[in-house]
Amino acid sequence: MFIEIIEVIISGLLNGSVYALMAIGLALVYGVTKAFNFAYGSFYTMGGYFAWTLLVSLGIKGGYYTVFLTAIPFLFFVGYFLEKILISPLRKRSDWQMKAMMLTLGLSLFLDIGYIAAFGPRLKSLPDIVEGTLDIGPFAFMNQDVVIFILSISGLLCFAWMLNNTRVGMAVQAVAQNPVGAQIVGIPKDRVFAATFAISTIMVGIGGILLSQKNFVNPQASTGIMIKAWVITAFGGMGSIRGSLYAALIIGMLEAFVGYYLGMIHIEVAVLTLLLITLAFRPQGLMGRE
Amino acid sequence: MNSKSMVAILGVTYGVIGILPLFLGDSSILMRILTMILIWSVVASCWDLIMGYAGIFSFGQVAFYVVGAYASAILSVSFNLPPIVTIFMAGAITAVVGVIIGLPCLKLAGPYIALVTFAFQLALEPFLKGPMGKAIGSGGSRGIISVPPIHFFGMDFSSGELVPFFYLALALTLICSAAIVVILKSHWGTAFLALKDSEDFAASLGVSAFKYKLLVFGITSFITGLFGALYVHYVGILSTRMLSMEVFTVLLIMIVVGGIGQYPGVVLGAVVTVTANELLRPMGIYRLLIMGGLVVVIVLLLPDGVTGLIRKFSGFRLTKKEQGFIE
Repeated sequence: MFIEIIEVIISGLLNGSVYALMAIGLALVYGVTKAFNFAYGSFYTMGGYFAWTLLVSLGIKGGYYTVFLTAIPFLFFVGYFLEKILISPLRKRSDWQMKAMMLTLGLSLFLDIGYIAAFGPRLKSLPDIVEGTLDIGPFAFMNQDVVIFILSISGLLCFAWMLNNTRVGMAVQAVAQNPVGAQIVGIPKDRVFAATFAISTIMVGIGGILLSQKNFVNPQASTGIMIKAWVITAFGGMGSIRGSLYAALIIGMLEAFVGYYLGMIHIEVAVLTLLLITLAFRPQGLMGRE
Repeated sequence: MNSKSMVAILGVTYGVIGILPLFLGDSSILMRILTMILIWSVVASCWDLIMGYAGIFSFGQVAFYVVGAYASAILSVSFNLPPIVTIFMAGAITAVVGVIIGLPCLKLAGPYIALVTFAFQLALEPFLKGPMGKAIGSGGSRGIISVPPIHFFGMDFSSGELVPFFYLALALTLICSAAIVVILKSHWGTAFLALKDSEDFAASLGVSAFKYKLLVFGITSFITGLFGALYVHYVGILSTRMLSMEVFTVLLIMIVVGGIGQYPGVVLGAVVTVTANELLRPMGIYRLLIMGGLVVVIVLLLPDGVTGLIRKFSGFRLTKKEQGFIE
C-alpha cells in the first residue's frame, strides 16, 4: 500500500516536471508579450520531428547529444523569426490580441497538416534516450524516466538562472513589468518580445523531444499538448511563472492519482473540474495578478 | 458601418444567393454549397456578434451548434415531436446551455473565457459518446442515423428536396440576419460595444455587464442552436464528428476573411470560405494546409478582411464615431 502510494507520487512528479517545462514556456510568452500562442502545441510536435529527422532519417552521429545541441539553436531561430514576421506586425492595432490568437490558430493548423504532408500520417518512433532500469530498494524506475526528469528539472533551473542572472533575463522581466518603462531605459522591447517567444519555443520543443521518445512522434498530438499547457497556465494564473510551476506539479500529481485509483478515462474530467472550481473562486488563477 | 449600408450589403448578398437556384436548381452540388453558405453565414455571424462586438472570446460556437443539432434530433427521434417544433425547442435549449456556460465567464478575462468555452466543446464529445449521452438518446459513438426531415404544409424539406429546403433556410437566415442588424443598431448593440471597450466605464454609466453578457450568450446560442437543428434535419444523420477541429477552424476562417467586428463582412466571409472549401476538396490534405496558411496571410495583410478591402475601394466610409469603435 505504502509502496504503491510512493510509486504514484513519483509518476506524478515525472509528469509534473515535463508539464512544468512546457507550461512555463506558455506562461512566459503570455506574461511578457501578452500574445496567446495557439501554435504552441505544434512546436512540441516540431521538436519530435526534428529529432526524428536527425536520428532516424539522417542517422547523424552523437545521438541525443547532437540532437539537443542542434535543436536549441534551431528552435530559437524558428521562434524568433516567426515572432518577427507574424506577431510583431500585428502589435500596432488595438485589437491585436484577438488577431494574434486567430493567426496562431491558423499557424497551428498549417504546421500540423504540414507535418502530415511532409512526414506522412503514421506515428514515428524515436530510439530510447537510455535503456534499462534503475533499482533503488523496492522501487524500480525506467532509466528513460529518470533522464526525462533530470533533463526537465535542469532545463527549468537553467531557465530560472537565466531569468534572474543574465541581462537578457532581466530585460525580459522588465518588459513584463512595464513595457513603456523598459523602453525608456533603453531595452529593445521588440527584440525582447521575439527572444521570449523563441525561448518558449525552445522549452516546448525540448519537451517534445523528451516525451516523443517515450510516446512516439504524433502529428495529431499538438492539440492535446496545447490544451494541457493552456489548462495548467490558466490554473496557475496566466503569465505567472511560479504559479505555472506549482500548477504543473499539482496537475501531474492529480493525473497520477486519478489515473491509478479511478482509471485513465477520468483524468480529463478531473483536471477540467479542478480548473473550473479554481476559476470560480479565483478568476485570475492560483497565483495570477488581477 | 451604418445600418443602411449593412442592410444594402446583406440584401445584395442574400438577394444574389436567393436568385441563383432559379438557374442552378438542377445541380445538386451547387445547391448543397448554397445551402451550406446560408447556414454557416448565420452561425459565423453569431460568433462575430459575441466575439467582435461584445468582445467575449467565446470558443464554444461549434459546441452550441452541435448542442442544437443533438437537441432537435433527440426530441424528434426519441419523443416523436414534429421537427418544425423541435428546431425552435432546440434553439431554446441551446440558449439555456449558452447562458449556463456564460455564467462562469462573467468574472473571467480574455484567454480564460476562451479556455472555459473550449473546454465545453472538449467535454461534449465524451459526454455524447458515453453512457450519459446514450441515456438521453445521443446514440453513443454511432450517432443518430435517421433524423426525420422538416415537414409542414404537406411538404418535405430535406436533402432530397434541395430547392424547397434552400428557401426555408433562406427565410430563416433573413429573419435571423434582420434580428442581428436590429440588435446591433439598438441600445443593446451599443451596450455590447461599450462593455468591450471599457467594462468599468460602461458599468459606471449604468450598463449592466451581468445582463448584457448573458444576453449576448443567450441570443447567439439560440440562433446557433436553431441553425444546428435546421442542419441536422437537412442532412438526416448526426455524429460527434461535427466537433472536430476542422469545423472549428473553417468557421474561424469565415470570420477572419470577413473581418472581425465588421458585420456583415462575415457573411461575405462565409460565401468565400464555403466556396473555397468545396473547390479545394479534390486537393485532399492540402486543402487544410492552404486554409491554415490563408488565415495567417489574411490576418497579416488584410486585418479587416474583405470588408476592409471593400471599404478601401468604395464609398462605404466609416463615420468618425464608428472609427472610434473599431480603432
